[in-house]
Amino acid sequence: MVDPAMLTEPVEPAYAAGATTRRLAAEAWDHLWPWSRAGFSRQKLVQAVGLALAVAVTTVWVLAGMGEMGAGALIGWWVGWSACEVLVRLSAKPYVKEGPWWGRRYRAASVMDMLCYVAFKNLLVGALLFLTLKALGRVVV
Amino acid sequence: MMFARLCRRFQRSIAGGLLGMVMAGALVLLSEPVRADSYEAALPPELHSSPRMCDYVACTEVLPGADSFSERRGQPPFVEGYKTEGGQKTLVGYVMLSTDIVDIPAYSGKPVVTLIGMDATGHFVGVKILKHSEPILLLGIPESALIKFNQQYLGKFVGDQIEIGKARPEENIIGLDAITGATVTVIAQNQVMMVSGGEVAKQVGILKPQVRPPATFIDTGETLTWDQLVAEGSVARLTVKPQDVGLVSTGQPYVDLWFGLLNVPTVGRSILGKDGYERLMAGLHPGEQALFVVKTDGIESFKGSGFVRGGLYDRVQVRQERDTYTFRDLDYLNLYGVLAAGAPAYTESAIFIVRGKTFSAAYPWQFVFLANKLDKTTGAKTFANFDREVWLPARYLEGGRPAYKRPDAPWLKMWKDRAVEIAAFVVLLVAVAVVYSRRDALVRRADRKNKWPVNAFKYTGWVVSIGFVGFHAMAQPSITQVLTWFHSLLFQWKWELFLSDPFIFIFWIFIIVTVFLWGRGLFCGWLCPFGSLSELLYKVGERIGLKRFQGKLPKPLHDKLKWVKYGVFLGLLAVSFFSMPLAEKLAEVEPFKTTFLVGLFNRSWPYTLFAAGLLGLSIFIERPFCKYLCPLGASLAMPTTFRWFGLKRKQECTSCNACAHGCGSQAIDADGRIDQRECLLCLDCMVLYHDDHACPPLVQERKRRTKAGQPLTPIGQDGYFIPIIPVPAGAAAKETTHG
Repeated sequence: MVDPAMLTEPVEPAYAAGATTRRLAAEAWDHLWPWSRAGFSRQKLVQAVGLALAVAVTTVWVLAGMGEMGAGALIGWWVGWSACEVLVRLSAKPYVKEGPWWGRRYRAASVMDMLCYVAFKNLLVGALLFLTLKALGRVVV
Repeated sequence: MMFARLCRRFQRSIAGGLLGMVMAGALVLLSEPVRADSYEAALPPELHSSPRMCDYVACTEVLPGADSFSERRGQPPFVEGYKTEGGQKTLVGYVMLSTDIVDIPAYSGKPVVTLIGMDATGHFVGVKILKHSEPILLLGIPESALIKFNQQYLGKFVGDQIEIGKARPEENIIGLDAITGATVTVIAQNQVMMVSGGEVAKQVGILKPQVRPPATFIDTGETLTWDQLVAEGSVARLTVKPQDVGLVSTGQPYVDLWFGLLNVPTVGRSILGKDGYERLMAGLHPGEQALFVVKTDGIESFKGSGFVRGGLYDRVQVRQERDTYTFRDLDYLNLYGVLAAGAPAYTESAIFIVRGKTFSAAYPWQFVFLANKLDKTTGAKTFANFDREVWLPARYLEGGRPAYKRPDAPWLKMWKDRAVEIAAFVVLLVAVAVVYSRRDALVRRADRKNKWPVNAFKYTGWVVSIGFVGFHAMAQPSITQVLTWFHSLLFQWKWELFLSDPFIFIFWIFIIVTVFLWGRGLFCGWLCPFGSLSELLYKVGERIGLKRFQGKLPKPLHDKLKWVKYGVFLGLLAVSFFSMPLAEKLAEVEPFKTTFLVGLFNRSWPYTLFAAGLLGLSIFIERPFCKYLCPLGASLAMPTTFRWFGLKRKQECTSCNACAHGCGSQAIDADGRIDQRECLLCLDCMVLYHDDHACPPLVQERKRRTKAGQPLTPIGQDGYFIPIIPVPAGAAAKETTHG
């Protein structure tokens, strides 16, 4: 049955009914880890490519931390990874939160929803890492 | 029938018109020649470093009458211009390069490189912009506006109090006309002009330094440890990191300096020992101050490897308000040791004598380190200074610290000058937010035929937004601001710059907060000046008999076209990574500058046609720009996906199209679901939701109860009549007996 209060169908991740702290911890893990077993069983290639690219982009950040990577290349890699993360999540964790972050409502993610989610999350994560490295003098613009 | 077909054909031609506008806009952007001569102009690197500055730039343009120029001299450097008559050279005036003297960034986060000419009496005689990175001057406002702004300085004395805004003769303040829509740029430019001119004028004796009452020190008789001196502020530290000057950090600072005034008996004795202190004081003339400097870490010297005997120590200086004190070799003494217990090891040391008698240790002063900052994109070095303020503890000063009022920062002046308007703007924003948060109460008072309880507030918001926010305060938010933030984040973030435009600053705080609470609709639908103007035109069109020509695009077409704005936004963002100037140019897809900042009739015809065309189209289609093109709306729609509080829905909405039919934003789909990214929070659907003559489930229930003779209870939070729960007969009887 369609829930008109949500843009897409309601979804209930396994942790949705758990205790608040456990649920928020699981959500934090969800934000950082886009893969899932279900995703691997569904689209092995996308998940594996995503994993490989994640290793590459992590290496890029480490290189940046060592002062070996320019700001432009770093941003380019991050944008590229973000595009890949959208695909990975759409098959592994295809849902987004509906309403306040402290709530328990989730819904199926459309491509646009996932694009918005990954773009916004990675903007925050990228900005935090980038500004930290900039403050430490590892990245110079 | 014939008429209906005519109307449909008209609507189709409107859709064609919309596409035509997009094409025309693209054509404008691609074909319109843009004249911005000094925008990101490539300057010869020697201009910043060569002693013969005027070989690389036409100094005669800013110092008319001069036919020869000296090498760079002084600290900060300037050039003297001479006129040759009968073999005799006569001093005409001075030429200075702003980036030799100040490193004040403008709105773009980069300085406006300005060549300034000043005659021998201290009057500005020429100003030339050599390079700027101001996006607003690329397209929105002609570069000639900045040239015209600079011309206001010609003939004005460098010692005058010149400010942006109205003149205040009673306070001897000369006012300059700002550039509408580029307030931040001109505030920065005013600082550049006045500080640059002032620095040179002081060096050549045109401006007399400010005389301050000298300090009389109290000898407490103590001998303090290094940590105690640092803790009380008598000894201070200035650290410059490599990244501050455009270098990659190696873990070591660029320079790490400690400094303090030695004339204070307690400090001097603690640092030099009793004998050393007395020897130093014996060698000083009245009014002179000794300053010690030690370098404890760092890859750079504070004395400078280029220092030659007779020259200047060009890396350190002392500043007190507008007065600067530099050091020559005769102002230097060796520092043989720091005796304070716990003092750190150092690799470089010096004692400098501040000889200017106008310096007073009783007032705050700054120790300044000057460095060259490497611009990685051009390889050019620009000047940067780093300072640390010191004010001696009151216990060392007879009578304590004197009364001292710090001059207001330019951005603070702006807030003070426009305090009433700012307060009114804040009231407007708060009022709209409060009204919207009370939407349930408002929509209950309204109904399908009378939406005034909601619309009265909304229309007021539009009118105030268009008139006050858009045309008067020129606070139309724009995607260029988002791009500028990205740029500033990467290059140089200075809060002062963003605070210099109070309306935009406050507006963005409001936008960010409300996007996360309710979505972009409150800004886009209620307060965006261009959006308001657009929808107001639609409403006016409706009232003046054009309703039959008004319409929406077919839903399938709308559902395709709505993605265009996201493409525009992401395209702009992508382009900005490669070329900010091109992104700024393409951001002309927003007609905001043409409408509010520059004026429809003050721009070349393609821009006017584009903006006027969009507004004209708005008479027939509700907010075509907002729905299909606005990159700012798209950028706000993306986080709106995660807005906290949405609009209400009933389960019956899945099969009822009443709200969807009336939705001006076409944000409700066939299942009755509202796309929060497209919804502009007009609240029309919420009016229907509570209207028992319009919302089908309510209509049905109303009719049923009326027929059954049951009372119509109020409509509850869930959007249904509060149910009538029959009381069991026994309980009712008991109630009656007790009663």
